[in-house]
Amino acid sequence: MKCSKIHKLTSAYIDGELNARDKEAFESHVKSCGACGTAVEETKSQRSLFAHAQQFKAPYGFSTKVMANIAPEKADGISWAPIFTRFAGAVVLLMIIFTGIISGGFLAGQLMPDKFSATARSLSLDIFDPAPPDSLGGVYLAMTEVGNEK
Amino acid sequence: MDKSTDDLGLVNKFKEGDISAFEELVLKYRDRIYNLCAYMLGNAHEAEDAAQDTFIKAYQGLSRFKPDAAFYTWLYRIAVNTCIDYRRRPFFESLFRRSDTGEEVVIEHPSASPTPEREYESKQIQQALQTALKKLSPKLRAVIVLKEFEGLSYEEMADTLDVSIGTVKSRISRARDELKILLKGFTEQK
Repeated sequence: MKCSKIHKLTSAYIDGELNARDKEAFESHVKSCGACGTAVEETKSQRSLFAHAQQFKAPYGFSTKVMANIAPEKADGISWAPIFTRFAGAVVLLMIIFTGIISGGFLAGQLMPDKFSATARSLSLDIFDPAPPDSLGGVYLAMTEVGNEK
Repeated sequence: MDKSTDDLGLVNKFKEGDISAFEELVLKYRDRIYNLCAYMLGNAHEAEDAAQDTFIKAYQGLSRFKPDAAFYTWLYRIAVNTCIDYRRRPFFESLFRRSDTGEEVVIEHPSASPTPEREYESKQIQQALQTALKKLSPKLRAVIVLKEFEGLSYEEMADTLDVSIGTVKSRISRARDELKILLKGFTEQK
């Protein structure tokens, strides 16, 4: 094995990922090559640094937060039911009110046509004359109309 | 492997509608996923957000999970991709993060050192490792974190990262070459 090949295989050797034949060839080269031996030792000491590194732990309440973030998704499917029920209730109520108004108007027109029309006429603004001819306003309007015609 | 058999049982329970099975998976993997995110991102708050996102994505995709791969390699893949995406996020998105104080991950319990000198040294090593990891590209950082902290084999790493074993070998070799330079003082004194 050449030094360049040893360099390529160093990590696999240290991680125990070499097959038996490559491992044997690797070890026999490293025994006789000082430079490759040093390089292998450096990589080993790098690994030992990581072996002493801290393992961080998830903060307190982490899993509770995860489950809480997931919970709204579950709730979404169910929460539509009360909204729909309330909406349907409002629609039924409005339908009852409209039916009442329409049927009330229809009944008033069918059962009491004369009385209804007399009441309607009495309430009409047509009967209201803001300036009768005998009043001061009526005289004034008559005068202005004559002036305009001239 | 026991780990993956247990996981598969929990995954099947979840698929049958048992949400508590998912909670068990969260409890089992929360520390490993958080640790992976902490070393991938180097920031405690981002690590927490990324780990949370990892489990939420896992929850959303678990019904589609196929047991031809181990659950933990699938989960690690989500975590690694989430961390890589965090680094790619545009600036404006960072303004709307759940937490955004940008605190470095801190050493809460340095290794049980007999003397203050050893404790100081172990803190320095920890800081040097975190700084060196930050300088690696995310792809190289991922192989180192999966190997050194999670102890995955090359085959498991290939599954996790969805690459060939040859690619894993070449990435880990490159990553260690770069780390040799970045950690020069520490690897020599050891």
